[in-house]
Amino acid sequence: MYYPEPISKLIDSFTKLPGIGPKTAVRLAFFVLDMKEDDVLDFAKSLVNAKRELTHCSICGHITDQDPCSICQDETRDKTYICVVQDPKDVIAMEKMKEFGGKYHVLHGAISPMDGIGPEDINVPSLLNRLKDEEVKELILATNPNIEGEATAMYISRLVKPSGVKITRIAHGLPMGGDLEYADEVTLSKALEGRREL
Amino acid sequence: MHIHELSLTNYRNYQTLHLNFDDKINVIIGENAQGKTNLMESIYVLAFSKSHRTPRDKELIHWDQEYAKIKGSVMKRNQKFPLEIQFSNKGKKAKLNHIEQKRLSDYIGALNVVMFAPEDLNLVKGSPQIRRRFIDMEIGQIQPIYIYHLGQYQKVLKQRNYLLKNLQRNYQADRTMLRVLTEQLIEHAAVIIEKRFIFLELLRKWAGPIHQGISRGIEQLKITYNASIDVSEADNREKIVNIYHDKFSKLEDREVERGNTLIGPHRDDLLFYVNEKDVQTYGSQGQQRTTALSLKLAEIELIKHEVGEYPILLLDDVLSELDDYRQSHLLHTIQGKIQTFVSTTSVDGIQHETLDKAELFRVESGTIV
Repeated sequence: MYYPEPISKLIDSFTKLPGIGPKTAVRLAFFVLDMKEDDVLDFAKSLVNAKRELTHCSICGHITDQDPCSICQDETRDKTYICVVQDPKDVIAMEKMKEFGGKYHVLHGAISPMDGIGPEDINVPSLLNRLKDEEVKELILATNPNIEGEATAMYISRLVKPSGVKITRIAHGLPMGGDLEYADEVTLSKALEGRREL
Repeated sequence: MHIHELSLTNYRNYQTLHLNFDDKINVIIGENAQGKTNLMESIYVLAFSKSHRTPRDKELIHWDQEYAKIKGSVMKRNQKFPLEIQFSNKGKKAKLNHIEQKRLSDYIGALNVVMFAPEDLNLVKGSPQIRRRFIDMEIGQIQPIYIYHLGQYQKVLKQRNYLLKNLQRNYQADRTMLRVLTEQLIEHAAVIIEKRFIFLELLRKWAGPIHQGISRGIEQLKITYNASIDVSEADNREKIVNIYHDKFSKLEDREVERGNTLIGPHRDDLLFYVNEKDVQTYGSQGQQRTTALSLKLAEIELIKHEVGEYPILLLDDVLSELDDYRQSHLLHTIQGKIQTFVSTTSVDGIQHETLDKAELFRVESGTIV
């Protein structure tokens, strides 16, 4: 080994992050050596705290530092609408929009038999329990528009349909502010399929 | 459509090569293992960005080099533009009119090529997989959205087969997810079958008369689609979806027992009949060859119909395999209207006025002399 043990351990830790290869890891590790000790301590503390203090909300599954999360606790939000998403990042994307005043449910993934992920491996059972306990009028399925996301949405709708809750799927189509000519054929054909009367 | 110039760099056994072609017939002569097929292949690769001979792009690079490059100057609808494709360890780069195309689907289709090689006999004789590949490639050239549905179908099929294998081990488990995947599968399967039917209708329109011409009017070619479900070509998408639904629900237990998807476009086939007899099983070698030739010539007409211009035709070592009548019929058909590349070991056996006017290229171990 060319590096003393503490630094090679640090390099190894950096390579565990997404998008960081061996060379970038070396660069980052050496940068840390030159940082002020206080900054390094803060950095280490933030890393540990992010992991220790954040949990998944016991109701919706979103990441939070208090349980239930601030969205689930918020009395001003409409409890009768639940938007189902795959990922905590999707909740943040929806929140940035500032249009949706309902609650969320985070699945943490999509059903994919190929990868050994079944309905029990994602947050589906807790969703079904919520539908039993809470007064829900509409379930909005906002999983990703790919095969697994689509299949997951169809699966949930089949399970929930008998209970009489209204189930909707978010629309697919053209991005706003874009030009029609730049859209790919598939998006365009989906947009045409989902056209509506004016 | 014509290709005027071709440059090869480190391509297979060619180190550097620059050729100017004739608009009509170009004959490439050479002994075995000198590079005739490699030259033909390079034009095919320029059009499709991959070889018909190998799925591994690495093989296209000269054995001791880092990269391989093919450049061509193409004339299409009175417009001249360059095409360039480069292969290296990092993958391939395709440039259309000097601009790099990130999506290969934007590149493929700029140059239309039809190749007829000895192995095309497998279209008739070979496994159903070869015939499915043939229709999928052809429809894909004309309609890019078909490729999308085909890709989605393959993905759902893979998921579904995994799930079926899980259910096989656990027979009593809930099957809701299986039904969801079945529904997804049917959605794409119906589009695929519908587009295949439309394509077949066009193929028949051209292949029938062509086959009659080559066989001097004594053979009738019939092409049918052999589906794994009981479907008629007159059925619309809605009807096809319903037929699939019925069949899949009947087969559910059996599919779980077998742990595999038993029906769908990936199990379908094309059947060729000459004078009401199945050519694959009962046809003579000659009839099989004529059928393959008719399909290829029909493909040329189909592209002309869809694109508005004839594609470039590559005849790799096949002229010598046809009898005199078929040879002259073929050469007569292409005469003057289709830019054609013919590779052969010798021109002696081929008597035709078209070849007299042809440009000759003699290949000797990776160079043109």
